[in-house]
Amino acid sequence: MAFKRDKKEEEDGGGNPFENIEKTSVLQEARAFNDTSVNPRKCTHILTKVLYLLNQGEQLGTTEATEVFFAMTKLFQSKDVVLRRMVYLGIRELSSIAEDVIIVTSSLTKDMTGNEALYRAAAIRALCSITDVTMLQAIERYMKQAIVDKNPAVSSAALVSSLHLARSAGELVKRWVNEAQEAFSSDNVMVQYHALGLMYHIRKTDRLAVIKLVTKLTKQSLKSPFAVCLLIRIACRLLEDEDGAPGADSTLLSFIESCLRHKTELVIYEAAHAMVNLRRTTAKELAPAVSVLQLFCSTSKPPLRFAAVRTLNQVAMSHPSAVTACNLDLENLITDSNRSIATLAITTLLKTGAESSVDRLMKQIASFVSEISDEFKIVVVQAIRALCTKFPRKHSVLMNFLSAMLRDEGGLDYKASIADTIITIIESNPEAKETGLAHLCEFIEDCEHTSLAVRILHLLGREGPKTKQPSRYIRFIYNRVILENAAVRGAAVAAMAQFGAQCPDLHENVQVLLARCQMDSDDEVRDRATYYYTILALKNRSLYNSYITESLQVSIPALERSLHQYTLNATETPFDMKSVPLAAVEPLVSEIVAQKAVPEGTIMSTPAPQRLGVSKEESALELVSSIPEIAALLPQLGPIFRSSEPVELTESETEYVVRCIKHCFARHLLLQFDVLNTLSDQLLENVRVSLEPAEGYRILREVPIPRLPYSESCSAFCLLEFPQDDLSASTGTFGATLAYMVKDCDPATGLPDSDEGYDDTYMVEDVEVTLADQVQRVWKGNWAAAWEEAANLCELEDTYALTSMRTLQEATTNIVQFLGLQPADRSERVPDGKSNHTLYLAGIFRGGHDVLVRAKLALADGVTMQLTVRASTPDVAELVTSAVG
Amino acid sequence: MLALVNRILDWFKSLFWKEEMELTLVGLQCSGKTTFVNVIASGQFNQDMIPTVGFNMRKITKGNVTIKVWDIGGQPRFRSMWERYCRGVNAIVYMVDAADPDKIEASRNELHNLLDKPQLMGIPVLVLGNKRDLPTCLDEKELIDRMNLCAIQDREICCYSISCKEKDNIDITLQWLIAHSKSGGH
Repeated sequence: MAFKRDKKEEEDGGGNPFENIEKTSVLQEARAFNDTSVNPRKCTHILTKVLYLLNQGEQLGTTEATEVFFAMTKLFQSKDVVLRRMVYLGIRELSSIAEDVIIVTSSLTKDMTGNEALYRAAAIRALCSITDVTMLQAIERYMKQAIVDKNPAVSSAALVSSLHLARSAGELVKRWVNEAQEAFSSDNVMVQYHALGLMYHIRKTDRLAVIKLVTKLTKQSLKSPFAVCLLIRIACRLLEDEDGAPGADSTLLSFIESCLRHKTELVIYEAAHAMVNLRRTTAKELAPAVSVLQLFCSTSKPPLRFAAVRTLNQVAMSHPSAVTACNLDLENLITDSNRSIATLAITTLLKTGAESSVDRLMKQIASFVSEISDEFKIVVVQAIRALCTKFPRKHSVLMNFLSAMLRDEGGLDYKASIADTIITIIESNPEAKETGLAHLCEFIEDCEHTSLAVRILHLLGREGPKTKQPSRYIRFIYNRVILENAAVRGAAVAAMAQFGAQCPDLHENVQVLLARCQMDSDDEVRDRATYYYTILALKNRSLYNSYITESLQVSIPALERSLHQYTLNATETPFDMKSVPLAAVEPLVSEIVAQKAVPEGTIMSTPAPQRLGVSKEESALELVSSIPEIAALLPQLGPIFRSSEPVELTESETEYVVRCIKHCFARHLLLQFDVLNTLSDQLLENVRVSLEPAEGYRILREVPIPRLPYSESCSAFCLLEFPQDDLSASTGTFGATLAYMVKDCDPATGLPDSDEGYDDTYMVEDVEVTLADQVQRVWKGNWAAAWEEAANLCELEDTYALTSMRTLQEATTNIVQFLGLQPADRSERVPDGKSNHTLYLAGIFRGGHDVLVRAKLALADGVTMQLTVRASTPDVAELVTSAVG
Repeated sequence: MLALVNRILDWFKSLFWKEEMELTLVGLQCSGKTTFVNVIASGQFNQDMIPTVGFNMRKITKGNVTIKVWDIGGQPRFRSMWERYCRGVNAIVYMVDAADPDKIEASRNELHNLLDKPQLMGIPVLVLGNKRDLPTCLDEKELIDRMNLCAIQDREICCYSISCKEKDNIDITLQWLIAHSKSGGH
């Protein structure tokens, strides 16, 4: 009995002795480090607390951290091994926060070269975390020695630390390649693996050297299975690169294939995983890899089974036939005692199976869906999503299943993925729309996640009015107004207004409800209700269109800034909405998900983090404002209307790399040339791009790069004025040449040999200014209404024969890209098997001219297109029609 | 008679209590700080030294006194950190290269900067003019004058001219240090 109680106590508390510690008291205690005689036990304990706090995410200020750090350096007087090792950890944790951390350099170098084996590896790791680039030279000798040290722990620590250092001091670390080579021949599996990692990293940018390294190593048999795995990954990288050297491919592939027969399971799996994930493998090459995975499916080791079924699951969509071969084994795994394996097996079968087996599998999944974790429930949901696109006819079974899942307990991610799936189904399958909306309505009746409820209400507002019986949704939406928090109430009000604007029968009822909402306790909800009520009371369709159906099209941060600026200078003129740059159109939900899905399966790539929430134009404006010559002109130019994607004007492997970004203003064009100098023995000065502008253009200002050292990238600018009277001249091609003064310099220091230089030029490709550079995409929620409204604008119509196009989809994609307009009503997707299609496009031409385009496409011999353009001025309409021809 | 009793008392004390002292060694780069530590620790003089990057911590036992020495690098980037290691020590030893007249002024400024810190008030200072084996070397008087040591009134201060290479005056330096182990701590 007593034992039982003890056990219970252990479980409910007391497990974590650091639970109640506080930052200030720990920092106070840390002053004990300064005592004249050090008590190792006490100090170790205090240091543990500091490390615990840091690992719990506690933030230390710079002064606090520096204080603790210097107090900690006093502990070097103690010879206690445990304490010293704690100090190393402390140094590593604080190295990024505290100042002057290089003070421990000498003490650490002494430890890493000393006799105490327990100190050496940890001292190396700590040393590399405190070293900045200027100090590296001083420790280089020690690092080289440590890399080739006989002790594997020391050697590994030095190799891994070198990898970390290579991030800031790549050039220096490159000099350690011989030592890495020597370490590579070590008998220790870890050392060999880490050495290969460093050797690869040093050569990474030099493709030929990597190929040489890999071909050499594939011929010898490596002792370390980890190193072989890394080699497989490197080989895959090479294979995936577009311009693979001919001949190398087959040897690399046969190497990976030979690894399928390796004696270690780790390597076998890695090779199989690599084979099935390669983009260009054929079914024949795939077969041995799949049979290995199939074998793994029936082993007694759960991790191997899991790995195999997970890999099969990932590639089920890209290689369905290969995975089908394993169906029998996967069926056996459905009843696996490990739920994660079972889930993956079922979802894989769902992705590859025939339509007839869907019902059976869904039943099976339903039997244990409540037992698996959210993470795997999401995998199930994704499988269902794939199934819906594959078998649209099964939508009722799947939809029922999804709605049952929606009613279960689950976190936000899980619920959001279900809602996303239902929304995708609604968007792609018109038949499922009504049932889908009904399920979502039911869901928001009892939804605890505000963000999801808001999204669904928005969707109801967009799709609901277009259904057969819009009135049935009103009740669900109005219930939200009565029952929910302010954010949801606001969204509900906005959704109701959509019904009022688009369904004349419901207009009066909605007005009554909106009038009630004007009594709401929340400001935002009241404001929205009043706003919509007032507009709806005017009964003017065009006002509905521009102020209710269509959402705000300007970029919100830009609007905020413009308004702020407007309030700063007191003027009488009213604020002009047209002066605010437009927001870039966000991709649809389904597209975002599709993009997200890609990185999975690729192991080594790290996708560049995007700066979220900041549009291209925003960041461009930031950059341009930092150039004094251009910033002075900005008030005249107005806001940046659109910034293009960067266009390469040179091949990537040339002496100078030049990219061009076109920033379009209302009447001006700013060309930004990013120039990169790749020659280590040259210093360039006064770098500019000299342009031969097309007719009608006028160069207003050029801003050269004063100084461009090796491996730096700077921007030169050229400001032009668009042709004033003839709009059709605004598309054209500019000849471009890079002009600069060269000074030869010492590659090591970067200092020029003499002050004398000579002028030189370098041909780059032409800069093209197209229609797409001058228009901004605009998302129209109700394109048809906008088209009606534009009936009194200028209209131009023309017919074209697009002989080079083979399919409607190809034509559609090309037209969208070419005109740079935003497709509406999902018309950019051509349903399969149709011989005609209509594409609806909308956008705004620089200077604030609306452009609407309707393209009727018919598939004959090639594609025939009838293009109708409605624009606010005839010039613009003509420009659009002429751009296509 | 009293003196004799005192000495016997001291001897008894030393049997039971080992004395411990802590001192910090600072000064411009290349003045011979690390060399000095090596000389007093093991009596070895080494001509080829590398600059100290950060600090070295050494424990030296002389008789019944254990001396903890914090030997801090003298390059400009470390000078701001001297103070942190001088807090609460029994004595600060300030090393000057007395044979390099160009650096005396910089050395003087750094010393006075350091001693102006309120945290270090009252800590005894020993200024050592190193390299007296070289012909151009200043003697004690000149050094006191050039370093403006007379201006420091708020603490005990002492100045010796030494040579680590010839082991000249190392003994009196040690005596001074050991003498300060008793009084300084309290």
